[in-house]
Amino acid sequence: MTQDLVVYAVYIGYAIGVLMTFGLILTWVERKQAAVMSDRIGANRAYLRIPFTQVKLVWWGLFHGMADGIKMLLKEDYKPKPYDWYAYMVAPWVVFTPVLLVFAVIPFGGMLHPGQLVPALAGWFGDRAYPMQIAQLDAGLLIVFAFGGVSVIGAMLAGWSSSNKFSLLGALRAGSQMISYELVLALTLLGLVLIYGTVDLDDIVRQQSGRIAGLPAWGIFLQPFAATLFLAAAIAENKRIPFDLPEAESELISGYFTEYSAMKMGLFMFAEFIEIAIIAALFTTLFLGGYNLPYMHDGGFSLPFGVEIAMSHTAVVITQVLVFLGKVFLLCSFQILIRWSLPRFRYDQVLKFAWKFMFPLALANLIVTVLVVWAMTP
Amino acid sequence: MTWLLANLETILLAIFGVSALVGGVLVVMLRQPMRVAMALISTMIFLGGIYGLLGVHFIAAFQVLIYVGAVMVFMVYVIMLLDPRDPATRRRFSGLVIPGVAVAAVVAGLLIRGVAADAGTGAAAAGAARGFSLAEFASAFLNKYWLHFELTSVLLLAAVVAAIAVIRANREDHG
Repeated sequence: MTQDLVVYAVYIGYAIGVLMTFGLILTWVERKQAAVMSDRIGANRAYLRIPFTQVKLVWWGLFHGMADGIKMLLKEDYKPKPYDWYAYMVAPWVVFTPVLLVFAVIPFGGMLHPGQLVPALAGWFGDRAYPMQIAQLDAGLLIVFAFGGVSVIGAMLAGWSSSNKFSLLGALRAGSQMISYELVLALTLLGLVLIYGTVDLDDIVRQQSGRIAGLPAWGIFLQPFAATLFLAAAIAENKRIPFDLPEAESELISGYFTEYSAMKMGLFMFAEFIEIAIIAALFTTLFLGGYNLPYMHDGGFSLPFGVEIAMSHTAVVITQVLVFLGKVFLLCSFQILIRWSLPRFRYDQVLKFAWKFMFPLALANLIVTVLVVWAMTP
Repeated sequence: MTWLLANLETILLAIFGVSALVGGVLVVMLRQPMRVAMALISTMIFLGGIYGLLGVHFIAAFQVLIYVGAVMVFMVYVIMLLDPRDPATRRRFSGLVIPGVAVAAVVAGLLIRGVAADAGTGAAAAGAARGFSLAEFASAFLNKYWLHFELTSVLLLAAVVAAIAVIRANREDHG
């Protein structure tokens, strides 16, 4: 019992640590990548000076994220007179909390045997094994969507309670946009659920460790079309360029969170950056084989042509954790690449794109998948 | 510590139950529509927590997904668009207060009778719910209850048609 508590406390600490680090680093990656893409030197002004020396640690401007965080914590928390005080105070948390909670069902590694990993604790843990996932629920994917739906309410509450026309317009846009794209998002994944026959995310990852015609059975090979639609809809759900109409700076100042300052505004920004990581983690789990390398499973590799490579438990755990983080980071970087490549849609185009383009395509993808699965079922 | 761990589920159940009840009372007591909606959202989420504690995680997920993610999102959206400080919402009681109280009393009476009749078997039912997996739910849902589900979709279709008719009528009135 106490062993379970220790393991899960470590998992929860790891999850929060990873998400916060991603949130902080992505604020820097976003600026640095923009600089690289437009051939500038970019964010390189923040540094740490080692006390009593003139040695300045610049580290490619990595400290910009830290400077941002400290600035937001120390700034005056200016409170305008809101339309509804309670909704105004609670809205940032309604946006931020669900984003963190989603990570609870995402598996970030395979089976963990703490006794084998740390021999000193072997006596205490015995041969207990834990999947590296905070909550092993058979409704994993449903939970993701359940929490995803809650953050819409936060955006709308923030805009409505701010007593500012720009905020209200932003909330209006956020509401209709997120409702539309959530539907598309769920519809794109139905085909995948049909193929795997489960919504348990860990089971989905395990099934992707297999092989199909020599290729790893990754979701992106089974449903390439759904993968593209999912990524587009997820970026729209996260309200990022080219779908950042709810907070379009040039039109609405900063949309539904115009009236927030200091860390309350930071929570909105942070939620957005953490959601980039969450989308990347979901995409990794559903389409890119999760925490496993191609042909890898909990015991090592089984390559095509019958080559088997066994690995020790420690090596497997470290590889899986690092591979998961690596995949997530690459996908985050890809999302930021999209953010700096595409111009913003017009608002009617955003909604038309959802209902008249992506929704029918997702439906068509589902119908084709249903027919193929039906034809292949013996 | 050991006591806390042993009784964790009971304690959580008490917290979720009381919070859901407080949310429910607030839904009736509060006067501003948006605050009522927020209280209702918290009630729904705590009810989802109770389902999760009973071991039926997917029912909890559906509870939050459908009631909060769909129904309440639309309610919040509508309240946001309309003027919520409408004078009609400032009157403490509506004209239908007496029939409302009467119906509430009847429903409460029926519920209490039902719970009292089930008091002996309730624990067994909760025990049976454990291990009820999504697969079992899905096959029961689509084999046994598909007709109810399809009838609901007809009802929703009727609602959509009615909504379009109302919009049409308004457009013809105002040109």
